[in-house]
Amino acid sequence: MARIENISFMTALAAYLVSAALYFVYIAVKKAWASKAAYLVMAAGFLSHSVSIAVRGIIAQRLPLTNQYEFATAFAWGITLCFLFFVKRFKFDALGAFVAPVIFLIIGYASMQSREIHNLMPALKSNWLGFHVSMAIIAYGAFGVAFGVAMAFLLKDKVHGKIAETIPDEKTLDLIIYRAVALGFLFLTLCMVTGAIWANNAWGSYWNWDPKETWSLITWIIYAVFLHLRIRKGMTGKKAALFAALGFICVIFTYIGVNTLLSGLHSYK
Amino acid sequence: MSENAQKEKNKDNTNGMLKKIFNFLKGMPFSFILLGIISFACIMGSVIPQGQSIAYYMDSYGARKGNLIIAFSLDDVFRCWWFIALAGLLCFNLILCSISRIKSVIAAWKRTRRIGIWGSWLTHLGILFLIVSFALSQYTSSEDEIYGIPGSSQPLGDTGLQIAIDSFDVWMRDDYTVDQYVAGLTVSNEKGEKQRGESSVNYPFRAFGYSFYQNSMGWANYLDIYKDGELVKTDLLCAGEYSYPDDFPALVIMFSKFYPDFAEKEDGSFYTVTPLLKKPRSLYGIFYNGNLMSMDIVKPGELISVHDYGFVLRDPVQYTLIVAKTDPYAWTVLVAASVLIAGLVLSFYIRPWEENRRKDNGEN
Repeated sequence: MARIENISFMTALAAYLVSAALYFVYIAVKKAWASKAAYLVMAAGFLSHSVSIAVRGIIAQRLPLTNQYEFATAFAWGITLCFLFFVKRFKFDALGAFVAPVIFLIIGYASMQSREIHNLMPALKSNWLGFHVSMAIIAYGAFGVAFGVAMAFLLKDKVHGKIAETIPDEKTLDLIIYRAVALGFLFLTLCMVTGAIWANNAWGSYWNWDPKETWSLITWIIYAVFLHLRIRKGMTGKKAALFAALGFICVIFTYIGVNTLLSGLHSYK
Repeated sequence: MSENAQKEKNKDNTNGMLKKIFNFLKGMPFSFILLGIISFACIMGSVIPQGQSIAYYMDSYGARKGNLIIAFSLDDVFRCWWFIALAGLLCFNLILCSISRIKSVIAAWKRTRRIGIWGSWLTHLGILFLIVSFALSQYTSSEDEIYGIPGSSQPLGDTGLQIAIDSFDVWMRDDYTVDQYVAGLTVSNEKGEKQRGESSVNYPFRAFGYSFYQNSMGWANYLDIYKDGELVKTDLLCAGEYSYPDDFPALVIMFSKFYPDFAEKEDGSFYTVTPLLKKPRSLYGIFYNGNLMSMDIVKPGELISVHDYGFVLRDPVQYTLIVAKTDPYAWTVLVAASVLIAGLVLSFYIRPWEENRRKDNGEN
């Protein structure tokens, strides 16, 4: 079983790398076969990735969402899921050139973590774990897509020729950023709410100002301001793209920075 | 200009100024300023260790930065007055914003009958409720700690409740990792009514309006104090606690740490090989007038002699720490969170969906 997990994980890692390369080929030559191949390889990688996570869950006999490796691989899985959906929904093939490298970097980070399976500490033995972390995975996945689109937006002016032709107009990019952030914001809120309910069950307090909670709140505030400015003040264009990028930097810090640099209730190192 | 005209002009100016202030207080720029400061405070609160002693900040950050941390309460950001004031101002902003928008939301609802119209308004209301209910929960809840060994019983503050610790078990796996901590409790009230149950991590025991959380555990030792070979006192000491002969309080013994399966590393430091009681040893310190006189490791039952006095640490036993909490308004947090989620779903998904449908149907 461990061998299956290992092979499927490495297959996913390789598939995401190949997919990223094919997406680069696509934006360079603008050939439809390249984007189709890239999408298929990405989808195959996603399937293999799903197998790897499922097998790990079977081996561990629990949800594999409890340490740096497990959450990193689930994080990459969440971005891939959102990416596959958004590419089809908005017919933006070149998006892969901006999101696939992010997916590869995150799964690459996962591959550098210890993959040893540990037993759950009592604090993590709760049905709320699945709800809480899966909400985070979708939220982070959607924010990852928003980040990729924001990068496409910011680079659009700086590239010419076929690369520029593969990137949709600014209005479409702007709409995708908004839709991805809105999805991520809803799920981040659900993540925080389910986490609060869990915390109340475990420690008798909804909110403990643990660094992870605090940085989730900061991330939430950044995206809340983004959505306010977008909806109420019509903020679009470069500012919106920069905001989405800033939000994702905060997401990355909340996940990696807080777990490694700050100690607290969530630092299950 | 006549005096009346001047008064009228002054009144208009004052009204204009008040209106400007009101508009600012209910407006988005004000909320962004508040959220910006709150975010900055949150960063400070997560980077600077909270709740440490003044000496800690002086040592860690130097006198200048340490003084700044203390002066601005950055050592206790989330409980300090200015952070609470910021949250209060944010609530004020949300109240004004919600009140000023309600008319237009109702008008839009009457005009269109589209439920999504309520999304943004409900989202703001949800955030407001969440802050208020969290504050309510913080200020009305009460919390107390009890700790003891199986067979012990103690009152829960002045609540009239008596908590008996019937049992305490640590469920271990084969690799000695902890699967669960389980405390068997009996809670009785002043009328003599009793409720029995188990409290484990994530699964608190609820009785008489209180929740009992399995919070922590540790090792305790019985301590016998002898004078001239005669037993004069017996105490139960948890790790970190101390005791002294009643007739000679300047002489103190502190039970510092317990090693159930003692071993020593090459560098001289101590550790426990397994959590099982295989080779139990206790680390203790003897103090005289507050000064450490000696520190050593002893087996259970081994005599520690200090002049006319003798100390014996014996019969190590695990104790459990239970946190008892009552929070009559905890449910309001859930209601507020539900309002917030409903508002977000309406804002982002119901409304666009209806708009798309209207567009598809060729409606305006």
